[in-house]
Amino acid sequence: MNEQNLLDLCHRLLELARKAGADKAEAAAAWGRNSETHIENGAVHTVQSGEETLYGLRVIVGSSQGFVTANDLEPSLMAERAAEAVAQARVNPADPFFDLPEPAAITRVDGIYDAAVEKLGSTEVTTMAADMLARIRELDPRVRVDSGSVSSSVSARALASTTGISASESDSTLDASTFGMAVDGDDVASFDYDSATSRRWLGFNAEITQACRRFVEKCVAGLGAGKGESFRGPIVLSPDAVTEFLLPTLIGAMCADSVRKGRSPLASKISQSVAAKMLTIWEDGRLPGGANSSAFDREGMPIVRRPLVSAGVLEGFLFNHYEAVAAGHGARSTGNAAGGVGSLPMVGHHRLEVDAGQTAMADLVASGERAIWVGRYSGSTNPVTGDFSGVVKNGFLVGSGERRPVREVLIAGNVFELLTKISAISRERQEMSGSALVPAIRAEDVSITAG
Amino acid sequence: MVRIPGMNDALELLSEIAAAQSGFVELRYHAKTSRSVGVDKGKVERSQARHRKGVGVRVFENGGWGFASTGSIDGDAIRRAVDAARAGAIASAVRSKHDFMNLPACQLARGVFDQPGLADITARTLEEKIGLATGLEARVRGASSAIRSASCSYNEIFEEKAIVTTDGARAAFRLVRPELRVSAVAEKDGQLSTGNEAVGATGGWDCLFHSATGEALAERAAKVAQDLLSARHADGGRTTVILAPSIVGLLVHEAIGHTVEADFVQAGSVAAGKIGQRVASDLVTLCDSGVSEHYIGAGGTIPVDDEGVIAGRTTIIENGILVSYLHNRESAARYGVEPTGNARAWEYSDQPLIRMRNTYLAPGTQSLEEMIATTKDGYLLDGPRNGQADATGEFMFGVQEAWRIRDGKKTELLRGVTLSGIAFDVLASVDAVSSDFRWDLGAGYCGKGQPAKVDAGGPYIRCRALLGGEQ
Repeated sequence: MNEQNLLDLCHRLLELARKAGADKAEAAAAWGRNSETHIENGAVHTVQSGEETLYGLRVIVGSSQGFVTANDLEPSLMAERAAEAVAQARVNPADPFFDLPEPAAITRVDGIYDAAVEKLGSTEVTTMAADMLARIRELDPRVRVDSGSVSSSVSARALASTTGISASESDSTLDASTFGMAVDGDDVASFDYDSATSRRWLGFNAEITQACRRFVEKCVAGLGAGKGESFRGPIVLSPDAVTEFLLPTLIGAMCADSVRKGRSPLASKISQSVAAKMLTIWEDGRLPGGANSSAFDREGMPIVRRPLVSAGVLEGFLFNHYEAVAAGHGARSTGNAAGGVGSLPMVGHHRLEVDAGQTAMADLVASGERAIWVGRYSGSTNPVTGDFSGVVKNGFLVGSGERRPVREVLIAGNVFELLTKISAISRERQEMSGSALVPAIRAEDVSITAG
Repeated sequence: MVRIPGMNDALELLSEIAAAQSGFVELRYHAKTSRSVGVDKGKVERSQARHRKGVGVRVFENGGWGFASTGSIDGDAIRRAVDAARAGAIASAVRSKHDFMNLPACQLARGVFDQPGLADITARTLEEKIGLATGLEARVRGASSAIRSASCSYNEIFEEKAIVTTDGARAAFRLVRPELRVSAVAEKDGQLSTGNEAVGATGGWDCLFHSATGEALAERAAKVAQDLLSARHADGGRTTVILAPSIVGLLVHEAIGHTVEADFVQAGSVAAGKIGQRVASDLVTLCDSGVSEHYIGAGGTIPVDDEGVIAGRTTIIENGILVSYLHNRESAARYGVEPTGNARAWEYSDQPLIRMRNTYLAPGTQSLEEMIATTKDGYLLDGPRNGQADATGEFMFGVQEAWRIRDGKKTELLRGVTLSGIAFDVLASVDAVSSDFRWDLGAGYCGKGQPAKVDAGGPYIRCRALLGGEQ
């Protein structure tokens, strides 16, 4: 399937929806082919391949909406699916905000498709997986790879609507991931993982090598973990912890659906300070060659680069078309309709960039201080209140001239308060598999409990 | 081209294709239809259907595994997938051969094993399902002026499978899994709090609402959100805790269950080498079962696993002694035991992995009231939020409600806490187990590269663990 085949499929679905009685319709289709080698217990385990075409059809009848997704391409089944979507819409209650956006200009993103990736077969992918395992073994034989994979995939997607949107795009992705732990005699360190993602074949092996190095360093650093200390004081969030812990709660509260539903503490904070002045966050979903870059969102709206938080001040919310219509006051989609063709458009962010700070990562905790380095955070964060409580993984007690691994250390507090207590940001930043570019961040006055 | 209208035709076609193959080939037809309704703040925001079906093929050749899938269900497409899986197996074997060339023979399922509830849920109209979700959401919002917003979602997943292997499996089944979630957000003086309730089952609505009606769930979500508004944070530290069945479910699934999955054991989990050893108090007997033990409807029920093995009950810990891991056919061959029916795949394009089903701690003899009355200082924890655990057995669970226990009495409600500890240490500290039993994680999904519907539960237990709180 190429882009044109998928656009043709979308237009066939629109026609079937019209025939079934839809007033408006949007069809999205995606095709993908992949080759993946799975690693289990330190060895190549299964070599896998697959190919699929999936579509999603959204219809509006009056002010009611229906949605069906399927992977069956037989004409009679497609007609059944279109009829099912319309039948759903006839049963679903009306909502005046259900609507489809009008077309907007879209420009392609460079560097997201590499023909060389399409030529890779299971033999090449399996070789990469075996080489990755060999590299990890060479770096430190104490590190056990529990599971992992290397995959190559090519995909195409298209979207068309009765309002005149017609958009399509192709991309390629190479991905390598490894998950495991260091074992030294009876000493079993915490799980850790790392990954590399790229749109291009050239240079991907070097990215795998870097991921292996980071993975081994993190696993081995967890050996010999001992008891922590209970105190109230500073924590340093690693780039992993910033990406998985701090940013999701903040960005979740910036999504217009959270605001509309009364679930965002940031609802009335536009143009107000929500974080320390040193924090600036950008969204850039169309970085050339970016592993998650794309020209258009789930509704066919253009994706743009824009600031979300500037010097601690909240710049705006994230809208898809529904939320923009519901918000009124001239709000427009910000290109943040998220999700695949198999789901209704939701609200979500694209690639994030946190501006670098002024402090070297190694100097985020001064000598003589006591702080906890949070390698990863394994816990719960209430997205509505921001309250968090969880275990520090790959944690270190830093200070008094030592940096020792600790286990059974919990941190608790509130993410929105933590943002205002940021006191330093590292100069160094890490690319997080194409989803974010982030530094390490230090914050003050966190409750730390040791077991 | 041969069209497959359903499961029985799939069984015939897969059997015909398997009969022409050499070596070990496993063919799995898997059709999944899910429907969901989401109501939020008085609006039906989501009402949708999803249909996905196809055939996944595994081949074991020269000591290597290959897997391929096709969403196109005709004989030619499936045969091409067999060829692709065979090529994958050969490529895999070049890099690392398994230490056996054939899977040992074992008892494999033959027949049709449909589960109850299909007729009930099929007969209910979309209007009825929308009515359920809108009614419960409105009930939450109407519970108090402090409720700022509410939501309710109803989902159901229909599955049809046909599994055929060249060494004798020929099984098919249909099942349905409904789920319901209700949540409330309360507000007072700018302070927000939440209450969440969720149930899930394998079966009809009688199973879904076995332990509580939809109305009771809605009222409880609203009450928890309101009560937590004025609750303070718990003090952190190691303490005595009584865990409700939902939290026991999280403990046995996340902190024990994953460490005894044979693939994790081989990678060096904390359970490695401990078969026959004491790992828990003698009050602890822990099982994982494809059957819904104690009462019907547990959310992770499967009659047959995705390798065609009957999914019975496996005792993992018996009176404190570790007696078994969870196996697929490959790990069972490696350990020289029978497979336990734990090979599961999420969709046709996923290969089967070792996964839990319904995991539980067996009930004891005490009552909850006795357990509280004999606790001088501690907490009663209920309402799971999320959970994760490590290969070391170190776990973390988010808990919605923490009730302070002082001098044998349940006193004030505290804000959500995090419960943590080393799983086997916590199980070794168990000194009381109640006679109640409840499946309580049926709305949950387990993640291990691909999701799986699981359930977990048990009685109330009393043990020692670490609570995250204020310093």
